[in-house]
Amino acid sequence: MECCGPGYASPAEAIKAPREKLLYTIAIYTGTGIQKPDYLATVDVDPDSPTYSQVIHRLEMPGIGDELHHMGWNACSSCHDDHSMSRKYLILPGVRSNNLHIVDTATDPRAPRLHKVIEGVEIKAKTDLSGPHTVHCLGSEIIISFLGNAKGVAPGGYLHLNKDFEIVGRWENSMGEIKFGYDFWYQPRHNVMVSSEWAAPNTFMPGFDLEEVGHLKYGRELHFWDFEKREPIQTMYLGEDGLIPLEVKFHHDPDSTHGFCGAALSSNVIHWWKDGAGAWQWEKIIDVENEPHPEWPIPIPGVMSAILISMDDKYLYLNNWLHGDMRQYDISDPHNPVLTGQVWMGGLLGKAPEVNGVKIAGGPQMFQLSLDGRRLYVTTSLFSTWDNQFYPEIREKGGVMVMIDCDPENGGMQMNKDFIVDFGKEPGGPARCHEMRYPGGDCTSDIWL
Amino acid sequence: MTTYTVTIANRDNATYQVDARRPLLDALRDQGVDLPYGCKYGGCITCAAKLTDGQVDQRRQVALNNRQIAEGYVILCVARATSDITLEIGVESHDRLYRNPFLDPLKPHELKADVAAPKET
Repeated sequence: MECCGPGYASPAEAIKAPREKLLYTIAIYTGTGIQKPDYLATVDVDPDSPTYSQVIHRLEMPGIGDELHHMGWNACSSCHDDHSMSRKYLILPGVRSNNLHIVDTATDPRAPRLHKVIEGVEIKAKTDLSGPHTVHCLGSEIIISFLGNAKGVAPGGYLHLNKDFEIVGRWENSMGEIKFGYDFWYQPRHNVMVSSEWAAPNTFMPGFDLEEVGHLKYGRELHFWDFEKREPIQTMYLGEDGLIPLEVKFHHDPDSTHGFCGAALSSNVIHWWKDGAGAWQWEKIIDVENEPHPEWPIPIPGVMSAILISMDDKYLYLNNWLHGDMRQYDISDPHNPVLTGQVWMGGLLGKAPEVNGVKIAGGPQMFQLSLDGRRLYVTTSLFSTWDNQFYPEIREKGGVMVMIDCDPENGGMQMNKDFIVDFGKEPGGPARCHEMRYPGGDCTSDIWL
Repeated sequence: MTTYTVTIANRDNATYQVDARRPLLDALRDQGVDLPYGCKYGGCITCAAKLTDGQVDQRRQVALNNRQIAEGYVILCVARATSDITLEIGVESHDRLYRNPFLDPLKPHELKADVAAPKET
């Protein structure tokens, strides 16, 4: 195998990669009252640098109103044996505008530049899709989940781009009986893709009406796909245990069939695997209890909006955005997770209103783990309209990024005292940061064929 | 061409003439009013403003629930004036737009139109 493509030969090789020195995060003004474009921020995470723990570059998008959210690479370890490919471009979808921004991060990693914009109107016209979310590459091709049709009605589908960022069309051959879209992950050695469910763009974009959960306008199912045939073949109805199943992750080990989903409103972790007879099974393995609050008529759910698996598949990290804690579980036995670490930051329970001298508006939201499993970067904003409902003070305070030191040998996590990036102090006014990625690949981007 | 006068109360009562056939977002932005927006099809609430006087046609919006409509919110990217109107714009007008859904639940008739129950009288 000729080996000079992007990424790493295996998860074990990825763990040995050099430490990350730069980190990218999106920062938004959409929905904040500040009439400026969203941007991609470069954060210096090299402790030996004089600008450590600071934003060192800001790449503004061409227009306002995108709501940048998640992002993904043009290539990952699934192209490791293709020397013609490189991990050069980051794809930044605008959830509201439908625009896809292709950003060149390789020419100058400290100062990424805009390479191309695929206009939202072109995507709507050619594929009848809107509300882009998760970006994955498959070999040299790129697929992106969209949560609605051009009018914002579920279930949407998948946009297929080629390596030159031209629209190929719809990726899937059928959406089957799927009601909603959101996140997806695939494990090619088992010819499987798993997708999850948020809601239609017209439902979630304006904000969260709890009553709409009861009216079945939010998801509660996981879908298993025949990856090669590009069609769903099995649905798991999670019911009350799986209200609003958001992030899905397989083990990084490409031979494993084990995977996990965080059900945001139920605040449960769902585990799935293929049993000895070849059938997919699921179980609830973590149940975060709702917490009482003196001013609330009902206990507060955690709102587990994200999960992450360490590159060695030993730890699962999760957030409780409304409670305010990040947790680390040892999942060496995926049927029996063990809580090994917990850190508080912000949240509605008042456990840690201030971190490293900065008052936190919001709670732990998105996170990215270093390849060696020792540094967990965490941001606090979920989505502009939902922030405005639950944490209205985020308008003035903006978001923050913190770093949690993790112990991959013995378990445990601790807030790092030397690192904090206060997006409330951004030169354009208080901004809100969400997903993060490293130039060399990270723990939520690479898939092995 | 039918035109109406739009008064923006929280911009020193500035007034603008708008074409009745055009969405208010486009008609006002073309005249230099700095307004937020997102999806541009009536689905995402980013461009919401508060109508304090007059009438609009916003049948194409799908973002607002009935409580927000009752509070006077309009979705500028699809709303068209059907009379002279007065608006409050920007986040200063959003005081009643966002609510904590656990602390302040909606009554069945206050949901979005597609799932709302008729109001009990």
